[in-house]
Amino acid sequence: MILNSFFAFLSSIGFGIIFNIRGKNLIIASLGGGLGWLTYLLVLKLQPSLVFSLFIASMVVSIYSEIMARVFKNPVTIFIICAIIPLVPGGGMYFATLEAVRGNFDAALSKSVMTLFSAGAIAIGIVFVSSISTIFKKIKK
Amino acid sequence: MHIDEIIHIATQAGKIMLENGGETYRVEQTISMICKSYGISHTESFVTPTGIMVSITNSENKTISLVRRINSRTVNLRKVSMINNLSREIATSPLSLSDIKKQIDFINNLPTYSHMTTTFFSACSAGFFTLLFGGNYKDFFVAFIIGALINIISEALDKFEVNSFLKNMLGGSLAATIALIAASLGLVGNMDTIIIGSIMLLVPGIAITNAIRDTIAGDLVSGMSRSIEALFIAIAIAAGTSIVFKIWALLFGGGLI
Repeated sequence: MILNSFFAFLSSIGFGIIFNIRGKNLIIASLGGGLGWLTYLLVLKLQPSLVFSLFIASMVVSIYSEIMARVFKNPVTIFIICAIIPLVPGGGMYFATLEAVRGNFDAALSKSVMTLFSAGAIAIGIVFVSSISTIFKKIKK
Repeated sequence: MHIDEIIHIATQAGKIMLENGGETYRVEQTISMICKSYGISHTESFVTPTGIMVSITNSENKTISLVRRINSRTVNLRKVSMINNLSREIATSPLSLSDIKKQIDFINNLPTYSHMTTTFFSACSAGFFTLLFGGNYKDFFVAFIIGALINIISEALDKFEVNSFLKNMLGGSLAATIALIAASLGLVGNMDTIIIGSIMLLVPGIAITNAIRDTIAGDLVSGMSRSIEALFIAIAIAAGTSIVFKIWALLFGGGLI
């Protein structure tokens, strides 16, 4: 599990370089990617729902990015984009296509719905955290 | 006051940010902040992923406006972060107009990582994603090669200004072709993980994230257009891989897939 999260960290570094993030921001953003994947695996171990695990993981990633953005005085996006990448449901999309090519339209449909739900769970995780963070911002003022 | 110069500087800063992957509300905020720090009493801006419209009114009730069209959209988060910090700096200590112009030009012309570096790291990304999804070390090397090729091809296509649909479709079909060839030669443990790992490079992570962030911030037009962008990228990748699968099945029978 730790090794897997390390792989997620390394893939996030690659993405950070493609998106031209430099210096310590690169390492911080990539650590977010590893953290997100670790959370995802941990939650998946506690309960079987894939969508719920993605939701929790994207929430953790968003909280992490919001905190880091405040600490290092940089836009939240540069951390969140890089860190959320490993969670994006590329696998679901691939299997949906594969089943469609094989002619199993029932399986293809259920895989696509699953992919859509996974993307939705990630979206709701981000929405949730950034909405709450705006409340905190208001309270601070 | 040089109201004309101010609007051009503010819009140029916003344009750089938008072209390099900034969110809509952040671009609007940056434009307003720059105008405000030069004493413009009233600024309105309307930003969508394809264009910026700004209108400012100074203290003598003179109003001018400017429209900028956005044609290229890439990702360079370093520029976003630097313009963001610049606009916050001048809010506390304003620079002269020529100085800030120089600063913006400097940020706009910052060098990116070299082609070799991005190729190597996208190859690494694809490889490690394959390991992440349960591939073995043989799969890692195949995905590594695919990742490098996807980066080289998309950079070559950028020179011809090919649209992103074709680019993602070709990327998806390239991943599927090489994975199928490697699988038929018996070089790989698990073909699925290789393809998933490689197409993660193309998957619309940025479009999804920014679509969500724009929609929450209340920029519904931008949110919708970015969601459509994400959907079309996904369709392009799926189309690319499935066409290759279909052709492979017709030529060699469906043994592998």
